[in-house]
Amino acid sequence: MARVGVFVCFCGANIADFVDVNEVVEETKKIKDVKFAINYKYMCSDPGQGLIKQAIIENKLTSVVVAACSPRMHEKTFRRAISEAGLNPFLLEIANIREHSSWVHQKDKKSATAKSCDLVRMAVAKSIANEQLHEISVPVTKRALVIGGGIAGIQAALDIADAHIPVVLVEKSPSIGGRMAQLDETFPTLDCSQCILTPRMVDVATHPYIELIPYSEVIGLDGYVGNYKVQIKKKASYVNFSSCTGCGACSQKCPVKVPNEFNLGHDKRKAIYSPFPQAVPNKPVIDAEHCLMLTKGKCGICKKTCEKGSIDYDMKDEIIEREVGAVVVATGYELYDASPYEEYGVGRFKDVISSLEFERMVSASGPTNGTPIRPSDGEIPKNVVFIKCVGSRDEAKGIEYCSKICCMYTAKHAMLLHHKVHDSHAFIFYMDIRAAGKGYEEFVKRAQVETAATYLRGRVSKIYQKGKKLIVRGEDAQIGQIVEVEADLVVLATAVMAQKDNPDLARRLGISYDKYGFLSEAHPKLRPVETSKAGIFLAGCTQAPKDIPDTVSQASACAAKVCGLFASDTMKKDPMISHIVQENCTGCQNCIRVCPYTAIVTEEIPIAPRSTEMRTVAKVNEGVCQGCGSCVAVCRSFAATLSGFTDKQIINEILAI
Amino acid sequence: MITLGIKDQHTFLDEVNKKSGCNILECYQCGKCSGTCPVSMYMDITPRQVMQFIKLGMKDEVLVANTSWFCLTCAACSGRCPRQIDIPRVMETIRHIAIEENVSSKSKKVKDIRKFHDIFLDMVRRYGRGYELRLMAEFNIRTRNYFKDMLLAPPALLKGKIKLFPARMKTAKAIKRMFAMAKKLEEQPK
Amino acid sequence: MKKLTYFPGCSAHGTSEEFDHTLKLVMKSLEVELDEIPDWNCCGATSAHVMTENLALALPLRNLILAEALHNDSMGIACASCYARHKVTKYELDKDPVLAKKINTTIDEGTYHGTVEVKSMLQFVYEEIGIEKIKSLVKKPLTGLKVACYYGCLLTRPKAITQFDSPEYPMSMDRIMEALGATAVPFDFKTECCGASFSISSSDVVLSLSGKILEYAKASGADMIVVACPLCQSNLDMRQPGVEKLFHVKLNLPVMYFTQLLALAFGYDQKDLMLGKHIVPVEEALAKIGKEPEKKEEIKSKKTVESEEAK
Repeated sequence: MARVGVFVCFCGANIADFVDVNEVVEETKKIKDVKFAINYKYMCSDPGQGLIKQAIIENKLTSVVVAACSPRMHEKTFRRAISEAGLNPFLLEIANIREHSSWVHQKDKKSATAKSCDLVRMAVAKSIANEQLHEISVPVTKRALVIGGGIAGIQAALDIADAHIPVVLVEKSPSIGGRMAQLDETFPTLDCSQCILTPRMVDVATHPYIELIPYSEVIGLDGYVGNYKVQIKKKASYVNFSSCTGCGACSQKCPVKVPNEFNLGHDKRKAIYSPFPQAVPNKPVIDAEHCLMLTKGKCGICKKTCEKGSIDYDMKDEIIEREVGAVVVATGYELYDASPYEEYGVGRFKDVISSLEFERMVSASGPTNGTPIRPSDGEIPKNVVFIKCVGSRDEAKGIEYCSKICCMYTAKHAMLLHHKVHDSHAFIFYMDIRAAGKGYEEFVKRAQVETAATYLRGRVSKIYQKGKKLIVRGEDAQIGQIVEVEADLVVLATAVMAQKDNPDLARRLGISYDKYGFLSEAHPKLRPVETSKAGIFLAGCTQAPKDIPDTVSQASACAAKVCGLFASDTMKKDPMISHIVQENCTGCQNCIRVCPYTAIVTEEIPIAPRSTEMRTVAKVNEGVCQGCGSCVAVCRSFAATLSGFTDKQIINEILAI
Repeated sequence: MITLGIKDQHTFLDEVNKKSGCNILECYQCGKCSGTCPVSMYMDITPRQVMQFIKLGMKDEVLVANTSWFCLTCAACSGRCPRQIDIPRVMETIRHIAIEENVSSKSKKVKDIRKFHDIFLDMVRRYGRGYELRLMAEFNIRTRNYFKDMLLAPPALLKGKIKLFPARMKTAKAIKRMFAMAKKLEEQPK
Repeated sequence: MKKLTYFPGCSAHGTSEEFDHTLKLVMKSLEVELDEIPDWNCCGATSAHVMTENLALALPLRNLILAEALHNDSMGIACASCYARHKVTKYELDKDPVLAKKINTTIDEGTYHGTVEVKSMLQFVYEEIGIEKIKSLVKKPLTGLKVACYYGCLLTRPKAITQFDSPEYPMSMDRIMEALGATAVPFDFKTECCGASFSISSSDVVLSLSGKILEYAKASGADMIVVACPLCQSNLDMRQPGVEKLFHVKLNLPVMYFTQLLALAFGYDQKDLMLGKHIVPVEEALAKIGKEPEKKEEIKSKKTVESEEAK
């Protein structure tokens, strides 16, 4: 015998102004199974909740309907309230008479009230068919995976490891350090980037709780939050890291020279190489595409030179597996290829370079030992033009968004140029100057005053060659005149882009990405480090362009989330998930095909209780299932059923209208 | 000085947007168009400034300026505009509005340019094809610059670059009819 | 035998007769039959679209309708301005059939169906004939000749309409010249406007704009400029003495049509190329063909168009 209690909320004026809440109560009292109906100003308040609890006890209610705002707001609140009064929390139904009625039918009180009564009647009918459900406990593997060894990955790994949680840190290149290792000095403090980064890199290498797997990639991820299995491909380095001492003799003798990616092609590295002097781990790898032994079977000098016998040309790629409970994705960014800007002569003029190339040039460990030079003739430039927003804020040739960091690093470049070449003159073409961080505006002012850089407001229209100089032409919008700068060197602040293989990685992990390839956060305002998949978090520029302080903050936030996830040995999960009634299952596997979370697997069960003959049926992995209902929709045999939304519950609702 | 907030600011903007098919509100005043324009140095107000003038509702200033008349429709600006605004189309719209509302510039340059176009079209109407000698002569007469290009004409004639007599179309009448009908279409309410 | 509908344009029998003439010679070598539109009319050039809306579309539309009657796939247009007008008209009317019908009412000769493609002659030669075919027909390579290929505004812009080559740094003409054996110099001003229709109404603008182009071409080491547009040729050639006089510079840079050089390389004699039509004589530059490269001339005067203009 069903005994339903209905509690209608005024929600202040939100509902009561547009819906006659008294009439709703009166109509509801007429429903057969409703034994108690009342309305109240603020049902979610303490007295409101008290009302509900009291009514449950006094009237021996078997289920509760709250007619109020969206379940997204207070479903949890009311579930807790009724469970405190002894009822299973899933015997609650919410009739949303705010978002579904009062807020959208503000001009017609009569109809809004009638609709609200209908909604309540549906909720009552559904609640009668509600079953008692219990939260599920899933075990947790207390180990974290961090993908990406830049400052974001390093920070997240250190924070998690410091909480005595083991971390597996996977990095694609031979060394960790990422973009920060390529920078000279960082704004706004002008700290030497490598100096503040390398101690962290060493911490990672020596931390007892961090397993660093360099020169490797994540190729697959199975499982669910607390219980992931990750497949990692360790690329063949052809160097035995355990015996290698990092002495560098092999690189010295190697005869092959290849453009150095770390310095963006401005100098050469060897086929056996370590990306930069402070690399961690400081062990070289062999570039299989260019090594003479690996491509032609010739040379072999590195092996002959190595005193430890660490070179192994027969090494193969290796696939390893790790079990982890959470993943932090920190794969960073790449820079926009400015080739579409043909009017700037990109690719045609050697002296038109990107900001990262300039950064490498002014770095002491860079291709020119810290001296900015003109790539065309090696001379030191005096007039340097910096162009901001190349690719950024450009729907025609690039991307619509602002890359956030370029205004600041261009001011920094003006400072660095001034420090390195005292009689230089910086010309900065800008649309805006965005200096919104702590100490940022002060830094820009410092750059403007100390370097006497000429800031020109206007996008550059064209660059052409005149003898040895490059003529940079644009309108100075402030004075409304065309200006042409005779430049020795032009530096383009190119847009921050998502890594090209981000969509691939996202698919492998089962998370979403946006139209630019940046990985998507669960909510832009309130959930910036979580993704749509529980247990996978984002840190750094892989999610959106940002500077180092924000990256580090985000990385630490991920670490906090991971630690929270691992706080207990088991994890509670919402029980409104799917089940397969295996007696009805025909084993067609349609549900497996449609499940977006790969939460359904096959299982062999005997065809009859004591038979040895087996048949294939489906089984839902409780930990992974998110309760979307796709399997229920495709199941032809009524085997798949969704707790909390069973066929009986839904049909009851429909019949109640 | 300009005072805003006293009359409807967006009437002219809406008119230009509608007729040109562009949305000038998207212009973020980067100035790439002005720096690109080969003749921006000859203009009273640069292409970028024109966009801002339109946004501020300064219709008279825009129609009277020589900017739209100097536009060569070379399309270098729109090719570079990061907001993909069809600037030559906007210039064309301004010219057409100026013609429709009979607004003329005080600048002799603009008057000369408009005279040239009128003479050119008259030449096409008469002959259906080009007749440069008449074009140049009539232009010189109407702009009272009688000896302009005087030294060019003899060698050009001798080399056969410009012809003494006009080329003729067989059905020149079709062109006269086309002109008349097109004029009627212009006069129809939009 | 390929057939191409041909729209000569008003200048074909006047200011750009050499373009039309050598085009016909080249087409003969390429085995392309030019099917000239009977009794075509002036496209209206710049003046029509500057001053009118409907007439500007009607004038080219008539030619498009007449072209359809010839039943060839494409229409090739030599003059860049005529090409732009016809291409834009086709683009606008294909997009808006209601507008097409409205403009059609001014024309008696038939109804528009949009069945003919509109191409510039440069586009036709580069895309439909191709570099390999051109190379195979070269009898007298133009080795030793350094050219600056000047495209002007309308052959490759606006990109959405022409859909041919690059709007900023096109290379089709350069590649054709290289296929003929000439050296195409890097030329940053190849798509800067020459001043176009201001030739008569605002000659000083043309002198300034064309002057900059000529000067830059010379500084780039070119012996001559190669063009594919009659108005560009006229501005750069006919107005060159005016540029020299106004800015006190010596240029002596002949301006030839790409079809003239194609004809020369294909084996036609110099006297077939109507070289007498040029204001700046071309013979000196052509004499460089087949000779050893000269030492670079010292630039004696510091005067430039820009420095003179700034005064």
